[in-house]
Amino acid sequence: MRITVLSPEQSVYEGDANAVVAPAYDGQVGILPRHAPFVTLLGDGVLTIRDSEGTHAFRVRGGFLQVGDDTVKVVAEHAETAGEEDAA
Amino acid sequence: MAKTRELKRRIHSVEKTRQITKTMEMIATSRLKRTQDRVVAARPYAAALAEVIGTLYDPRLEEQFPLLRYPVGDPKRVALVLITSNRGLCGSFNANLIRMARDRIAELEARGVEVELRGVGRKGIGYFKYMGRSFAEERLDIGDRPTPEHAAELVEPLMRRFEEGELDAVEVVFARFDNPVSTPPTLLRLLPIARPEGGQTVNYILRPSPQEIVRTILPLYVRNGMYRALVESAASENGARRTAMKNATDSAGDMIDVLRRNYNRARQSQITQELAEIVGGAEALKG
Repeated sequence: MRITVLSPEQSVYEGDANAVVAPAYDGQVGILPRHAPFVTLLGDGVLTIRDSEGTHAFRVRGGFLQVGDDTVKVVAEHAETAGEEDAA
Repeated sequence: MAKTRELKRRIHSVEKTRQITKTMEMIATSRLKRTQDRVVAARPYAAALAEVIGTLYDPRLEEQFPLLRYPVGDPKRVALVLITSNRGLCGSFNANLIRMARDRIAELEARGVEVELRGVGRKGIGYFKYMGRSFAEERLDIGDRPTPEHAAELVEPLMRRFEEGELDAVEVVFARFDNPVSTPPTLLRLLPIARPEGGQTVNYILRPSPQEIVRTILPLYVRNGMYRALVESAASENGARRTAMKNATDSAGDMIDVLRRNYNRARQSQITQELAEIVGGAEALKG
């Protein structure tokens, strides 16, 4: 499935993913390919994207996550690439 | 003699000016690139927000959310945010924005609406202060790198007052960025939020609830509208400055051509005259 991570200033990440774990308002949500259409609010935390090469981590806060048409859109008020310590 | 010296001095002066405008043109070009990239980079987020709001929008929500409130009857109090640049030398960029704001204020006031003026950028603030209008807010610190935080600071208090019914509309006058040479002044109505076009009907699972999501996303949408107005204005300013400085450089070049032609003509006629005088003098001595 496709994933895009957007912040107001720019598109932070775009790529294919096998699994996404996102910090929703009430806890972590995991998204796998062929997930049902879904919209939820985001909380504050680390977004992890797993693809065939490894994992990418981003610090996100606020905004929402939208799944539809096998595409995940993370539309966050703040989103930035996370450092090593966050990825762990 | 005096004429050639004077011409030489002017050629020199215009050359110096051309050098400066040429440099400013190059600076504007590099800033334009940077600010233009920011305009483009901000688009996907705005599109994603608009799409979700379109999907979730339901006329029944209007009663629940003060942000979707449509004032009944004529508006009484409107906040107008005017975005201009801090610096000049960008052609008619600021003049166009100021004219649009002035016309809009006149139009609103003719209908008996109280206009609360808010300014971003020294040029617009300077003009209206000179005309004896006061500003509810003056921002000179934003420059050509506006951030979402700047937008939030500007729009947050306005949203709150709109929700409380203290303001009936929030409008922004800014320079839309179509491309570097087309930056028309534009009036954007930030609040009340325009009714979105009917989105496609995907059956989303919505958590926590459609209402909660709309409650959270609407302010983001309004804030983003302001952010984009700021970012587009910054890019437009640099586009306008580049065009103005290019025109100035070209005109200086034309002027130098004319002056140099005059200088050469004056020099030549001076030499001719001197020769004639020498010949004439020699003839007289022979006599």
